[in-house]
Amino acid sequence: MSGPVSSLPAGGVARAPLRLRLATDRLAVRILLAVALSMLGAALLIALSGHGPLTAFAAMAVGAAGSAHQIGAALNRTTPYLLAGSGVALCFRAGIINIGAEGQIAVGGIGAVAVALATPAGMPPLLAILAALLGGALAGAAWAAVATAIHIGRHVHEVLATLLLNFVAVLLVQQALAGPLGQFGAGFLQSPLLPRAIWLPRLPLIEAHPGFLIALAVAAALSFVLWRTRFGFALRVAGASRPAAAYAGFSLARLTWGVMLLAGALAGLAGGIEVLGVQRRLIEGFSLGFGFKAVTVALLGALEPLAVVPAALFVGLLEAGALSMQRQIGVPSALVAVIEGLTMMFVLAATVRRA
Amino acid sequence: MPDATVASPLLEMRGIVRSFGAVRANDGIDLDVQAGRILGLLGENGSGKSTLMKVLFGMLPPDAGSIVFRGRPLAGHRPAAAMAAGIAMIHQHFMLIDAMTVVDNVMLGWPEAGRVLRRAAMAARVREASRRFGLDLDPDAPVASLPLGRRQRVEILKAILRDAQLLILDEPTSNLAPSEVAGLLAILRRLRAEGRGIVFITHKMPEVLEVCDEVVVLRAGRVAGRTPVAGASPQQLAEMMVGRSVAAAPAPAAQAPGAVRLSVQGLTAPGLSGVTFALCGGEILGVAGVDGNGQIELAETLAGLRRARGGRITLDGRDITHASAAARVAAGLAYMPADRAHTALVRSMSVAENLMLRDSARPPYARGALLSPAGRRGRARTLMGEYDIRAAGPDTPAGRLSGGNQQKIVVARELDRRPAVLVAHQATWGLDPGATRFVLDRMLALRDGGAAVLYISSELEEVLAIGDRIAVLADGGFAGVVARAAADLPQIGLWMAGRAA
Ligand SMILES: Nc1ncnc2c1ncn2[C@@H]1O[C@H](COP(=O)(O)OP(=O)(O)OP(=O)(O)O)[C@@H](O)[C@H]1O
Ligand SMILES: [Mg+2]
Repeated sequence: MSGPVSSLPAGGVARAPLRLRLATDRLAVRILLAVALSMLGAALLIALSGHGPLTAFAAMAVGAAGSAHQIGAALNRTTPYLLAGSGVALCFRAGIINIGAEGQIAVGGIGAVAVALATPAGMPPLLAILAALLGGALAGAAWAAVATAIHIGRHVHEVLATLLLNFVAVLLVQQALAGPLGQFGAGFLQSPLLPRAIWLPRLPLIEAHPGFLIALAVAAALSFVLWRTRFGFALRVAGASRPAAAYAGFSLARLTWGVMLLAGALAGLAGGIEVLGVQRRLIEGFSLGFGFKAVTVALLGALEPLAVVPAALFVGLLEAGALSMQRQIGVPSALVAVIEGLTMMFVLAATVRRA
Repeated sequence: MPDATVASPLLEMRGIVRSFGAVRANDGIDLDVQAGRILGLLGENGSGKSTLMKVLFGMLPPDAGSIVFRGRPLAGHRPAAAMAAGIAMIHQHFMLIDAMTVVDNVMLGWPEAGRVLRRAAMAARVREASRRFGLDLDPDAPVASLPLGRRQRVEILKAILRDAQLLILDEPTSNLAPSEVAGLLAILRRLRAEGRGIVFITHKMPEVLEVCDEVVVLRAGRVAGRTPVAGASPQQLAEMMVGRSVAAAPAPAAQAPGAVRLSVQGLTAPGLSGVTFALCGGEILGVAGVDGNGQIELAETLAGLRRARGGRITLDGRDITHASAAARVAAGLAYMPADRAHTALVRSMSVAENLMLRDSARPPYARGALLSPAGRRGRARTLMGEYDIRAAGPDTPAGRLSGGNQQKIVVARELDRRPAVLVAHQATWGLDPGATRFVLDRMLALRDGGAAVLYISSELEEVLAIGDRIAVLADGGFAGVVARAAADLPQIGLWMAGRAA
């Protein structure tokens, strides 16, 4: 089922428990080194563009964490990466290369908005929010189910099935906005603003929505699932050796369904939280790139849900700080994409094992 | 060609030390290999044989010690440098690309093949060397089409063409059919006649007596003895290995078999053409035959890893023909697969996790959907003691254990469940004589407790030693079944060759 593509990132990354791996392979050290190298590369590029790297990084740091407002924005940015990324990490652990978070997040946004717009006005806000988020999660899971059905039913490689459905999902958002969910006469593709009662509340002190806390809890829960449950054990065996999983009596189809639906639901939840907590309406392209970065974040976190937390924070803070860097000293924020790319390369180089 | 005189050794290893954590795998080993001689490297499971050879080949750096090969020191080297210096290692798991032909595999990664590949010239060299050493290899045959023994010859061919002066073979015969073993030994003799040196690791005494000039025996990382083979007896060698005398395996006591536990009727599947037999409680059916005649198909179809196309399998009267692998385990069917590397074990997982591989739903490993790490470790410690699985601890990754100790994990897991029926395929693969004896004794005990055992092995001697009845698998079906008392070797030989009586 999993061809050479599957064995590349997932097979290359060590699969022993995190504690053990950190001790034996100094994985954490190597990943940190990779991150440091990519920052060095970024510094070089900034210097080449005629700015001071230190000033630029300082501007970035201030932009990401200079005030309660900015910290909040950075955490909001981190949330979808963490939610979708830890789901992706679980899939990769099982040797299932799910590249579909991008589409699952988008469809999750549709689901959440559809439920939110259909909610009767008198409903208690908490209930309405939960219903909308549930709608997002279910929609994400459903989109993952389409890919899984194609993969298992028709033996299409999961990379293809999940990847291609991402493009369909983007069109689906457009279609929904051009039709039932769209705001008539808005000029561009967006839904009407959601009723205020359904917006995610703000946390005190830092101006983040509670999505980040949900994502933290999810990462912790997934780590528990991976190491302490039979399902997690089966996932790890399947990821290490398909014949061994069959011998152990685990049904690969059932495992695939389970982990894909779980990851899809989390990606859909990420889409719902983004819509309810940040955009407050469905906008064309609201989640562009989120799902692909979730894959980056999962690998950066060595496919360990708990380690995905710092990985997601790194990317989230970087992106939140980038805009401010651009505003303050004129270094283009596109540089962040370069840093992310460099990090990805260095991390893969640092974690893939020599045979 | 170097001047290979017996006076100056081809290889001198001195004071090799290599530790893994607290384990001293090699604890000051001296080893000399002469050109034109075959050295047998013996020792119990985990005594440090593979480690020593990995140090020699540059796969593991030693903590201390020196290596001199053909008069030149070899230090801080990698396998590529070892190969360039004239050392070749034939690995247990072949490093071949299945989809490519023999000649393509030979050229792979070999500078002398040239930047622009001269395929025809190379094919001619392959043919020439193949004839000279009796390898019987067609340069244009895809590797995927070759049986295991032939694939091994491709590895040997690579070594010969690269002009290796020293060949290391780490348990090369453990998964070969007897005829293939004979072929391999003949090839080794030819290489010796050409003046090359050979290190031959094996647990099988008859092979040692047949080809080795001298043996070095390791025990717990040290040299426990060395002796020329001429004049030594298998008994003596075995005693040197374990450090005590090993009694010959007792002939299993015949007893009246009980009720039928496993019944197989007209079982067909790709590679199986209608297998029928009944296996009673208190009975071991030994299945002999040349590998590739349906062994893996029979074992996996019984275990539920392959689908039966036709026929019926019942276990204690219950039809399990279409049951899942998990359901068969629950019904009392244990299975020890021959493929240790990918099926029977997960090398990257701990010893404890491998011991629970097929029992993760049951206590003490799990309660409900949750795993119990404490229960797992406790059970692992017990089993490691009971089956003498030597590892630093229950959390050691299984891949770090020596080959024989890995096999003991599989044996412990499948026997610990107290199965009704056991399907064992090459169950003693890679075990030293002491451990082999231990496993065979365990199977006899299982049988005496009323279970039924299907013992599939390409080693006729073992099948004859343990089976109450002997079946011969040829061309995907049983060519014949006899009670051990009535077994006669020529008849079995004929059956194995695929000729019905
Ligand atoms: N990579 C490793 N990490 C930790 N311990 C190891 C490693 N490789 C080998 N060992 C340990 O070193 C000892 C010697 O192992 P080695 O593989 O050399 O034994 P062996 O003589 O080849 O045994 P066998 O006959 O079972 O193949 C064993 O105790 C083994 O557990
Ligand atoms: Mg070994």
